[in-house]
Amino acid sequence: MTIALWCVFVLPFASPQDTVALAEVAVHAAALDRFAAGQTLLTYEKSTLERYAARSLGDLLQETSPIFVRQYGAGMLASPSFRGTSPGHTALFWNGVPINSISLGQSDLSILPIQATDRVEVQFGSAGALFGNEAIGGSVHLSTAPTKKEGLQGVFSQTIGSFGLNQTSLMAAYGNPTLRFQTKGYLQEQPNTFRYRDISRAGAPWERQDHAAFKQQGVLQDIWWQASSHAQVKASFWWNQAQREIQPLIGSSTQDRQADESFRAVLDYRYQKKSSVWKLKGAWMADQLQFNAQENQTRQGLLGLDWELPSAGNWALRAGVRGTWMNAQLSTYTATEQRWEAYQSLGWQEGERISVSLNLRQLAYPNELVPFLPGLGMDWRLFEIDRTSLHLKTAFGLGLKLPKLNDRYWEPGGNPNLRPEKSQNAEIGLQLKQTGNFSWSQRLTYYRMQVDDWIIWLPKGNVWIPENIREVHNQGLEYQGESSWTTGHLTWQANLAYTYSSTRDLTQEGSQQLPYSPKHQGNAGLQVKRKDLAFDLSGFYVGPRSIASGNSRILEGFALGNLGLTFSGAKWKSLQMPLRFQVLNVFNQSYQVLYLRAMPGRSYQLNLTLTL
Amino acid sequence: MIQFNKSFLALSLLALTFSACDPTTDERPLGVYDTGILILNEGAFGANDGEVTHLDPSTGTLTPSVFEKANGRPFAGLLEDLVLEEDRLYLVANTGKVEVVQPGDFKSLGAVEKGLDQPRSLATARGKLFISDYGPYDANYNTPSSYVAVVQGLDGGLVKKKIPVSSKPEDLYAFGSYVFVAASEGKKVEVLDANAELPFKTLDMPGQPVQFFELNGDLWVFCYDAQKVYFVSISKSAISQKNIRTFPIAQATGRIAKGDDDTFYVLTSSGWPDYRDGISVVNVGSGTLVSDWKKGSGFYGIGYDSDAQQIYLANAKGFQGNGEVLVYQKSGAEVNKLTVGRGPSGFFFR
Repeated sequence: MTIALWCVFVLPFASPQDTVALAEVAVHAAALDRFAAGQTLLTYEKSTLERYAARSLGDLLQETSPIFVRQYGAGMLASPSFRGTSPGHTALFWNGVPINSISLGQSDLSILPIQATDRVEVQFGSAGALFGNEAIGGSVHLSTAPTKKEGLQGVFSQTIGSFGLNQTSLMAAYGNPTLRFQTKGYLQEQPNTFRYRDISRAGAPWERQDHAAFKQQGVLQDIWWQASSHAQVKASFWWNQAQREIQPLIGSSTQDRQADESFRAVLDYRYQKKSSVWKLKGAWMADQLQFNAQENQTRQGLLGLDWELPSAGNWALRAGVRGTWMNAQLSTYTATEQRWEAYQSLGWQEGERISVSLNLRQLAYPNELVPFLPGLGMDWRLFEIDRTSLHLKTAFGLGLKLPKLNDRYWEPGGNPNLRPEKSQNAEIGLQLKQTGNFSWSQRLTYYRMQVDDWIIWLPKGNVWIPENIREVHNQGLEYQGESSWTTGHLTWQANLAYTYSSTRDLTQEGSQQLPYSPKHQGNAGLQVKRKDLAFDLSGFYVGPRSIASGNSRILEGFALGNLGLTFSGAKWKSLQMPLRFQVLNVFNQSYQVLYLRAMPGRSYQLNLTLTL
Repeated sequence: MIQFNKSFLALSLLALTFSACDPTTDERPLGVYDTGILILNEGAFGANDGEVTHLDPSTGTLTPSVFEKANGRPFAGLLEDLVLEEDRLYLVANTGKVEVVQPGDFKSLGAVEKGLDQPRSLATARGKLFISDYGPYDANYNTPSSYVAVVQGLDGGLVKKKIPVSSKPEDLYAFGSYVFVAASEGKKVEVLDANAELPFKTLDMPGQPVQFFELNGDLWVFCYDAQKVYFVSISKSAISQKNIRTFPIAQATGRIAKGDDDTFYVLTSSGWPDYRDGISVVNVGSGTLVSDWKKGSGFYGIGYDSDAQQIYLANAKGFQGNGEVLVYQKSGAEVNKLTVGRGPSGFFFR
């Protein structure tokens, strides 16, 4: 289909002129940009995403953010935990539509390849009013954007690496003032035959990992069309398929296999007249998960309409409605459900000095209204002297998670009487910034969160059933510092982050730290560039964490370092050929993120990209 | 799933072991774990953190993670069963291995690390290990390829043969050159010839057989179905069924403990919608039955300390973390509460 689209739309417009920067595509700008005052946000630059091009979203977030990613092995299930919440307490969006599995209530970050996205933004804290269901601990926003350059563009990238890594990707793009296309394809194979210490056997001998092979492929297509001076259309499609041998725990030899296949399509229509903007969004998603011989299929359709006044004096206003239809055909049940939501956002801004956002949302699902969700945030520049400024950021919000379909319909055990999980989050932070030759930014945030009616599956006789059991109080500190400067011919960039996270389970005796919630996490990075040569060094630390309630077994903390060297001076006519070499886990640490899940030691990756 | 404790069998085997020699001339010093109570902690699915907790009832001292403490490495499996035979303690992990340790100090002697799927229990006969194994799941999570694995030698090693048996074999009992297999889903007791390593005879059972025990010189097997439990006696010489005692205990779980004087404590679980667990007490000799001697939730294992005449009840506490053990007098009075490892499922009284 993609090739056909190219033949029909692109070739007739192809022209040999040089590429020219176009204006930002506005059609799908996330609400993050305008109504998230006071929220803690993390936006990944293109250069960072390029460094992780052959890796997954799980790797990126684990190594560079305060999020703890529960990795069940190399290339295996990776699920995010924001501020001590569970993986299901994270909302994940692709081009503005939620893509968490409707049956499992979460996403596997290891099958979300970085090269399939052009932009990654992360928001911390409960923001149900802004993002709806599941935004309890935070949310992740992936988006694709058609090229901003005019003319034809092509990129071929090949990565080879340790343990049989072989990854190929292609990107072709075309842009003119009224039409833009971008097509991406990728194929990754990773036999994952890394060596690890088998700590379950006497003497902890070195073993080669067996039954952990990983293969992933996908195609993405973006089309943007300026239909008239008032109207824009953007369509995005994404097909992704992953096949995995499920890595057994150390000491066992299970032979499970999993195949995931997703098809996602989003259509955005934007109509602007005077200061008023109408946006219509339609989406269709179909997921298939096969675990051994067990097949599970889910489908989801979404239709939303919103109206916005982006700028009415100091005010901005948005109101909208959204309906979602979902259907699940699992090995043990079939269910169909509709959900409705109405939302409203109000923003007030006085230049760059102060901005305030108020968000409101009401959700409804089968015959039930769930609690109303408000959210309020503020950015306030307390002072600015020369190039130094101090900002106060504060936000308060509620979040909720409707019981996932498995919670309510799974046979046996599904519990139709479950209540939604609910959260409250408040945070306050200071950000000190300086611009100039030596620019830096430091931000310290204190947050406090409470999650009630947390759903836990418990055994009842021979059957496991989900119940609203847990009540959790979280609080923590997040520090983030970054700076950049120049010395002679060298350009430097440095970043440092540390997170302290206390997560108390009030339903357990002694209200101890939740399992797999490290109290301490940190990461640091240093990049230095001289002309066409760039060197980067990064590291991250994950502190000790218990594997179960009651701190009965503590996994040691671990620290890993990565380094990379990029040479971007190789060129031939208009062909650029950047070459990158990376060493991951440079100190060859033997570690487990989750108990008995072996992880690879030192590995190497070599990437060659051809950009036309 | 842990079946239940084998204390009564262990005690009888211990008696056999020590009756053959004069205790005053046994020069082997008593190890730390040769006395007291071993508590099986199954561990949680997906974490494979099964372990053994030791309780010294005289001091109340609990020692967690006995295997890891003795060997400097994690057990790394779901602990299904503990079997003491031939002066060796076998730790059967249903995640695919058997660890062999010295009973006194838990120091490793060997292991069966490869060739198993979902081992459930073990017996020794003719210098060999016989390991009951569900075999791999098929596409519908059935186990049509169940077997008893044979390992030459008592300290572990390679699986030399797999003898096919009916689905879901549980407990094993060795007698002479025969190995009795409780094939639970097949509702059969299958008898294997330990020398030839071949099936010898099959006995049909009224319910799912799960546990062998000796009572008044006979071999018995405990069976259950949705409505009743059955105690079936088997002639070891004729290898044939002798008697059946039936009790109307609905929703038994297959976990039992043998008390004094032909008394058995049977765990029950009501399932949906009440999810109420209980303990029923039966006397195989007199035929008396006390239903719901205890009621609650989370019951996961039961044992009987014949020295102290106390009932040990394990509560898995949802497998979220540490489990709990409650200790009762025969009168029903609670006398102790212990915090143990994850998923406590059975007891082994030394």
